[in-house]
Order: sequence, then C-alpha cells, then structure tokens
Amino acid sequence: MNSNTNRRDFLSTASTATLGALAAGCPVTSAEAKAKIDSLKSTADTVIVLWMAGGMASTDTFDPKRYVPYEKGLDPKRVLSTFPAIDTAVDGLKFTEGLEKIGAVMDRGTLIKTYRAADLGFILHSRHQYHWHTAYEPPLTVAAPHIGSWISRSLGPLNPDLPAFIDIGQTFDSGEKESLKAFHTSGFLGSEFAPFFLVEPDQAVEAVKPPVGMSDTRFAKRYQAYKKMLAESPIQQHGSEYQRESLLKSIDNAQRLLSSPKARKAFDLSLEPKESYDTYKVGGRFGLGCLLARRLTEAGARFIEVTHGYYPFKYWDTHDNGHTRLKQLKAMIDAPIAQLVLDLEARKLLDRTLIVLASEFSRDMMMEGKPEKRVKDQVNVPPKIDGLQHYGMHRHFTGAGSVLLFGGGVKKGFVYGETADERPCTTVKNPVTTEQLHASIYRAMGIPHDHHYNVEQRPFYVTPDGTAEPVMELFG
Amino acid sequence: MFIFLAGLLIPVAAPANPEPRKMPAAVQRSVDFAEDIKPILERSCVNCHANGKRKGGFSIDHLHSFIAGGDSGPAVRQGKSAESLLIELVLSNDPDELMPSKGKRLSLDEVALLRAWIDQGLKWEKGFTFAKFRNAPVAPRKVVLPDGPEANPVDRLLAPYYSKHKIDPAVTVPDRIFVRRVFLDTIGLLPSPGEVAAFREDKRPDKHMHLVEELLQDKKNYAEHWITFWSDCFRNSYTRQYHGGGGKRITDWLKKSLEENKPYDQFVRELINPVGGSDGFIKGVAWRGTVNASQVVEMQAAQNVAQVFLGLNIKCASCHDSFINDWTLKQTYSLASIFSDGPMDVHRCNKPTGDKAQPAFLYPELGTIDAGSPRKERVKQLSEIITSPKNGRLARTAVNRLWAIFFGRGLVDPVDEMDNPTWNQDLLDWLAVDFVDHGYDLKRTMSLLLTSRAYQRPSVRLDEDAEEFVFQGPVVRRMSAEQFLDGIDQVIVAAGKDAPTRHTGGKRAGMRNLDRLMRTLGRPKRDVVVTRRESTATTAQLIELSNGKPFANIMVKGGKAWKGSGHAADAIVGELFANAIGRSPSEKEMQSAQSVLGSPVNAQGVEDLLWMLAMHPEFQLIH
Repeated sequence: MNSNTNRRDFLSTASTATLGALAAGCPVTSAEAKAKIDSLKSTADTVIVLWMAGGMASTDTFDPKRYVPYEKGLDPKRVLSTFPAIDTAVDGLKFTEGLEKIGAVMDRGTLIKTYRAADLGFILHSRHQYHWHTAYEPPLTVAAPHIGSWISRSLGPLNPDLPAFIDIGQTFDSGEKESLKAFHTSGFLGSEFAPFFLVEPDQAVEAVKPPVGMSDTRFAKRYQAYKKMLAESPIQQHGSEYQRESLLKSIDNAQRLLSSPKARKAFDLSLEPKESYDTYKVGGRFGLGCLLARRLTEAGARFIEVTHGYYPFKYWDTHDNGHTRLKQLKAMIDAPIAQLVLDLEARKLLDRTLIVLASEFSRDMMMEGKPEKRVKDQVNVPPKIDGLQHYGMHRHFTGAGSVLLFGGGVKKGFVYGETADERPCTTVKNPVTTEQLHASIYRAMGIPHDHHYNVEQRPFYVTPDGTAEPVMELFG
Repeated sequence: MFIFLAGLLIPVAAPANPEPRKMPAAVQRSVDFAEDIKPILERSCVNCHANGKRKGGFSIDHLHSFIAGGDSGPAVRQGKSAESLLIELVLSNDPDELMPSKGKRLSLDEVALLRAWIDQGLKWEKGFTFAKFRNAPVAPRKVVLPDGPEANPVDRLLAPYYSKHKIDPAVTVPDRIFVRRVFLDTIGLLPSPGEVAAFREDKRPDKHMHLVEELLQDKKNYAEHWITFWSDCFRNSYTRQYHGGGGKRITDWLKKSLEENKPYDQFVRELINPVGGSDGFIKGVAWRGTVNASQVVEMQAAQNVAQVFLGLNIKCASCHDSFINDWTLKQTYSLASIFSDGPMDVHRCNKPTGDKAQPAFLYPELGTIDAGSPRKERVKQLSEIITSPKNGRLARTAVNRLWAIFFGRGLVDPVDEMDNPTWNQDLLDWLAVDFVDHGYDLKRTMSLLLTSRAYQRPSVRLDEDAEEFVFQGPVVRRMSAEQFLDGIDQVIVAAGKDAPTRHTGGKRAGMRNLDRLMRTLGRPKRDVVVTRRESTATTAQLIELSNGKPFANIMVKGGKAWKGSGHAADAIVGELFANAIGRSPSEKEMQSAQSVLGSPVNAQGVEDLLWMLAMHPEFQLIH
C-alpha cells in the first residue's frame, strides 16, 4: 500500500470538500500545514496505543526497585517493589517478575522510565486520562480531540475501507462514564474523525457487517433499491448541493465499509489460526484486543487503541491488594503484547507501526502526587502491613511512570530517563511530559508538533500552543 | 511598505551593500492567503501601511486599497507578478527603493510566494482587513419602517435589497415544502399528511400566518423542540456528572420558561442572577483538582455570558489580550470577577500578574457595577445592565440567532461574532428594536420571520466561495439528530389506526438522555457551548444508521408496525411517502417501492423501504 498517495489524496479531497465544513464553522487545514505534513518524513504509518487504564505502578512492572517480600507486620515505608526483578533481552535492563515475555522482546523496543503526569491537583483518573489522550487539561472552551482523531484528521485512513481511528475495549457504563466520554471524541474536528468503538473483540466483525438479522444479499439489494429510488425521484434537485452530496457520499462510504470483504476479514477473529488465537486469548478481552489490533494493522488501520477499559477501582486502579492483582494483570498483558510485537515483526509491519504502552500515571505505596507537588491522599496506608490487602502500590504517583515503545522508528533495546532508587522513586534525569510524548508520536507519524486547525479564528494545536517538542533521542 | 516619494524617507536598516537579487520563480503550489501571505505582510508591511497608516499613500488594509496602490501607482498587476511594482521593490538593490525600508528584507522564498499569490489572482480572505478590529455599535438604532406594499416588515425592509440585487421577491415554494419547513422550525416535528392537505386546501390569503400562529401556540411541542437549541447554548446536559460538582441541570426551569414564552430579558436575567433551578448556567463545569486560571468557574461564566447573550468571543482574552478582537485580559477579568466572591488575581497565560481585577461590565457606558457590593448584588446589577434596553447588543444577538436558525445563515455571521458587519443593517436593527418594543417576545419575532415572504422563498445552497454573501432565501439544512429521530418515530406511529398527529409515540428525542445514536448524529455532549451544530453528513453517522443496533431496531419496529397496519402494498407505499417526505410517489417510485415490499408484503420489505425513505435527501434535508 502506498501510504503517501493515500495521504495526499485524502488531504486534497478534504480540502475540496470543505464547503459544508465551512458552513458549519468547522476547522480548516491550511495549505502550509498540508505542505508541512507532506515534507516531514514519517517513521510510522500506524499507531497502536495499549492503554493500561487506572494507573500502572512502574516499580511493580517495568522499573523494579528494592524488593521486599510480604510478611505480616511489614513497614510499608520499606517496600519499593512487591515483585523481584528479572532479566530482559537488554543487558542491564530489569523488569519485575511476571513480564518475562515482554522482557524477551525488549531488544525491539524502548522503555521510557520517566513519564511525568501533569499536576492537576487532587487526583481524578478520568481527568488525567483526558489529559493523556488530548494533551489538554479540562475544562476547556473548545472540545479537544482525542489523539486518534487528530491523527485521522491530519492523515486520513491508511486504507479507505477501514475507519481511521478504532477504539477497542472501553465501555461507558462506569461511575466516571461522562468524564470518559468527554475525551473519547473528535471534539471540534467533527464526527467524521470520531473513534469507531468496538467493545468485544470477539464480536468486532458485527460492526462491519449488515445489522444482525440482515443478509448480505438483502443489504446490497436495499442499497441498490435506494439508489434507484433517488434516481426516480421526480423532484428537481439543485445542481450540486453539498448537503445532499455529503449525505450520498457518506452512505456510499458506509455501504462500502459494511460490504468490504477485506474489512470483514480484518475484524473477524474467528479466522485466526487456533494456536495464535489462544496465545492472545490468555489475556482475555484485552489479549484479544491486541490480536484484533494486529489484524487491523495488517489491513491498514491508522490509529488503534486497545484497553481493558477504565472502571473505578478495577484493573490497574489498585486501591487495595495491589500485589495480588498485579500478578493477574501482568499475566493478562505479558503474552499478548509480546506476541503482538513478534507478529508484526514477522509480517514486516513493526518498522512502520508504533506501539505505545502507557497509563495515566504510576503508583506508589506512600506518595500521592509527586515529591514537589504532593496532593491529598486517597488511600489509607496503615503503619504496619497486616494483610495482603495492604501490600501493593495503592497511591497515585505522578513523579515517574513507565511507557513502552516498539517499532515505528524508535530505538531498539533503549532506555530513556532515570529514576531514583529510593523513595520517592521519582524522575532524576530526562523527564517526559504528556505533551512531549504526543509530539513524539506525531513526529513518528510525520505530523509537525505545531500542526493546527483554526477554530473560532484561533489556532488550536496538536499540543498546547504547539510548543512541546518531540523527544528525538527516542528515534533510531 | 514599498511605495513612497523618494527622498522623503531615509532608509535606515537596509543592508549597506545588498547582494543583487534575481527574481525567483513563483512557487508551483496553490498559495493560501491566510497561511502564506498574511504572515509576510504582517511582518514586513503593516507597520507603515495598515491600520490607518498610509505611507506613500499606500494602505494594505483591504484588498481594494492594496490593488489601488499608492503615490507611485498600482502596486500589483493581477496575474502578472513579474511586472508588478511590489516584486520589483522587494527585490531592489537600491536602498532608496527597497521594501520594507526598515527591518529584514524578504527572503527569496517569500518573494516566490508573493509572486505565486499575484499570479494566482490575489486571493484575499473574505472580509479580512488589516484595519483595527471592527466594533459594532452597541446602542439600539431605530429604523423607520419604509412605506411599501409588503405587509410584513421583513419583506418591506428587504425590498430595496431585492431590487439592488435583482431578486424577484415574488418567488415562493409550494405549500407542502412550506408546511414541512415551518413545522420543523417551530416544533421540530413533521406535519402529518392531513396537516399538509389541510394547509393546501386552506383558501385564506393569510393562511401562512394562521399556521405559524397555531404552531407557535403548540406550547408543549414548541418547548420540547427549542429546549434542544437552548440546552446546547447553556451546556445543559441531562446526564453529566463530572467528579468535582460540575454541570447542574436547568432542564425543568428551561422547559417551563419555553412553555410560558418567558420574555427574553427576564429569561436572561434569571440565568445570570439565578432563581430556583436556573443556576446551572452560571455555575459552570467543574472537574476535581486544580484548574487553569482561564477556566475557573467565574471565567466560564464570563465567557459564556459574553458568547451566548452578546455574541462576543472573549475566550482568547481569558489568557491574554486577544489577537482576534479588541478585548483585553483586564476586561475579561473584570467581567469574571462580578461572579467572584472575593477579588480575583489576574493571570496571564496561567501566571499571576500581581494585579487584582476590578468588577466591571464589558461596556461601561451601559452601567456601572458597584465593586464594593457583595457578589449577589453585583450579579444582580450585571443582569440588569445586560438586559437594559440601552443594550442593543442583547437584542441584536437574539434576533440574529433566530434568523440564522430559520434561514441557515445569520444577518451577521458567524452568529457568535456580532462585531462582524451585517448584510442588512436596517433589517437587523429594526428587528432588534421591535423585539425590545414588544417585551422581548421571542415568539413575536419568530412569527415576523416565519410569516415573511422571505421565509417562503425556495431554499438555496450556501456559496462560501462567493465574494460577498447575497441573501436569496433559506439555506438548505439537514435535520438535527432530534428532528430526525422524532420524524422516524412519527412515521412509525402513523401506522396505527387513528394515530394522533404531532406525536412520536414516546418521549421526544430532545427530552431523552444523550445516547450513542444521537451523539453520532451530532447532538453535542454539552460540555462546551454550542450555538450551531454541524449540519453535513459524515461516514461515521451513516455507518451507525446502516448497521447500528439502535437504529436497526427502530427500523424493525417500523417494518412490523406498517406490515401490521392492514394496508395493501400500494397504500403502504403511499402512506410512507406521504408521512416521511410529504408527497405521493411517482408511478415509477410506486412500482419500485412495491417491489421492495415484496409480494405478499413482508415486514422486512417494509423495513427496507422505511430505511430507504429515512436516508432519502428529501427526508433528511429541510428545503
């Protein structure tokens, strides 16, 4: 697939089809911005975000510190990691126990140890997640687009038969659902660039088929009859009316996607060989989401996010039993993520696919916030640990967190940033902010960090004011 | 920038021995004025040749003044950059000639851009000027209604406009188009076939007026339609519960206010200085944690009051003095601090400046806020100043919003930038004063607009490429999410015997909580103010309508309902056409539609025909 042609085609279509967009006061891409995207050499065509929603403790995953095994009466201040460290494929780089498989593919990836979450005061997961996904802090006067929407708006689909931005695994039925909806949106970019939601990877194919109960034949016939009916309409149509055109063009696009054998194949996990399917299945819904992401990448998706979903106090949101729960969580992600890397590599897609594993912030047993910006504690930590329920990283730590990157032009077997060996295990060298992380992802995709669209006469940038620079050391 | 009387100016910073420069070729791509040209002109020219300054008699404030040139003659020859004085002067070696006369000379890349711009026909951003930002007058302006044969004041005021633009005022749409348009615009519902027929058969010359009045008196449906528009404006989400106490609902107050057609000045006063149930608008959206200084609830209140009631954008000026209008950080803070319990610390780009804000209204000539009084008193003063008859801006903004809703484009556009020029000042000013003179009665102004012949004109497409907007009739619009879903429900309900008209069979879409289907169809989440929705279709929407479960279920329900209606195939087709798109099918359409229904008629066939009609441009578009 020639991605450059598609990209340029999309941009030119977008610019000629802006009549309606203009009428609705929609954002406009400038000629200069278009030229810039074309001239900036990308290192990736697709982004896969593996979202560890809830706050993944780095010292119990990818950045081990002093391990103190559980015993009754333990002083929590002594514990930095609740898992022993293990070797990885990279000399001198250790992970915690339970991440052996990802460790084994680290010679293909980069670990950022020093992701620093923003200072947003009294911690609220959904607000940090909003910030991570948009680079903007709510509330705002303009609805900020999700990074996936920015990318699909800027580059268009890689394969026009697939939605450009696919979001796998998040539902909106938890206690913070309204806050989650606030950033799972294309915002001012308009609904054309909104995420295409898939909840159950096993049933993803239903989203690219005719509705349940309707055969392909009937679906095709319905559309043919529809087109015939339009042709037969006795009402004189106004020459080229953009409202009508946009409607007919959109129906045509939808019909094409919902009838496309290629799209359907990509979405259909039942077509995957059993052995491969089972490898991913170990990780449950999240694992199958990784499998789906791989298949969609092969088919030409532009931006994919996979998550088990954010649900208060569930998954990585470990307010209790952190150690016990992380055992399960690591078992959930280890094999599928390693397999995703290997599969993409085997298909020669890893070089042009950027995988980003991240979470809104890290966790620590003692510290809430970061050393220089402590915030109100939310979790009670007893002076002596008298049960496993208290053994784990239960407070929200924003001083240093882990981000894994694979493929898409990033260095292989590389570690960026240093964290302290003693509490608070915070950033001591090379901090990376959310904005820099975004700028780096955009850079990989060939989008300048000051790329913007004008809304209400003012420029709205991919990162606030377009000032965040990519971390170029990450790239090979 | 480049034309002056030699000898009068002494160039200072021109390079002592400038390298001779060859004329670069024009760039090949199409250049964009805003992105490519404006920055060059802004950096190198505006100091001497804009904003009222005309060195050498040359001003670039407007395209026409640009082309006209200065004392040395025309600055450019359109389409012929190589022969344009502008290019000659920016490349010149002669320090007496070289432009800009001060500062850095233009790079060859920039010259190549300017050449391309001239060659490509000097495209200028429509309405753009380098001149100081325009500030429209705030005071009301009385316009004497001219004499004329037209009964409706709107038409009378438009008469000179029509003759100037050679528009035949007599052209109007057929009855069925009018009925559908006015139903959707007043109560958001489709007319039943019976209601269309009754109107067609009505022989009264003033039947349009009767219908408009009747619809505006349908209080329940009026309120349940207009609550959508106002909830978008006031960020009134039915479901939002951010952690942090944001987003208090005003639904009950709003619905009641609409049902009783609360005078607009009172409506605004109650939103600013809340009564029971109306405080959500000023309370704003809060998230737990610390918030950027430009987004504290007091600033939100200031921004939203300015945007919704006055058509002013002070969002930029919440961080720093605005780059897009004259509003300053200080003014925004003054407005915000009316809503603050204590004095507010002014922050520029989230950093304290050390200044304290002094409560004041944006237009001090309209009234003074007593800075020493408690918050409650200040807010009350603001609510009175803003709704004082001296504030023509409040009324202009409101009538302009109504105009834009009914005609698809405002008298001033965009509707939230009321300092922009209008295409018909007399009409805007007359409507605004009439609105105030009649007790801020929204329905009266609506009635004036809807009973005008202007509103009966055939719909037109909006030509954004046109140099100047010319009003020719209402712009074609697409149904809102709520109108669309209500309309489908109506078509389904109509299958029942003696089905009530103006009924969707359940809670109307605009009264329901936001769901995925409505969200996809464009109903906003209401976490930011939305005064106008996107009206073009998107692929995402049509995917949802083609295979999404909620809509597929509605179609199945409709298929069953009509199959079970007991009608014969031709009657089903006829009824569906009449209910959905307000006309009978042609012979061909009848034949094709019947073959879709199957023989004998099956529910799936009816379902498919219903879907086809729901996707029909004649259904989704308001002509």
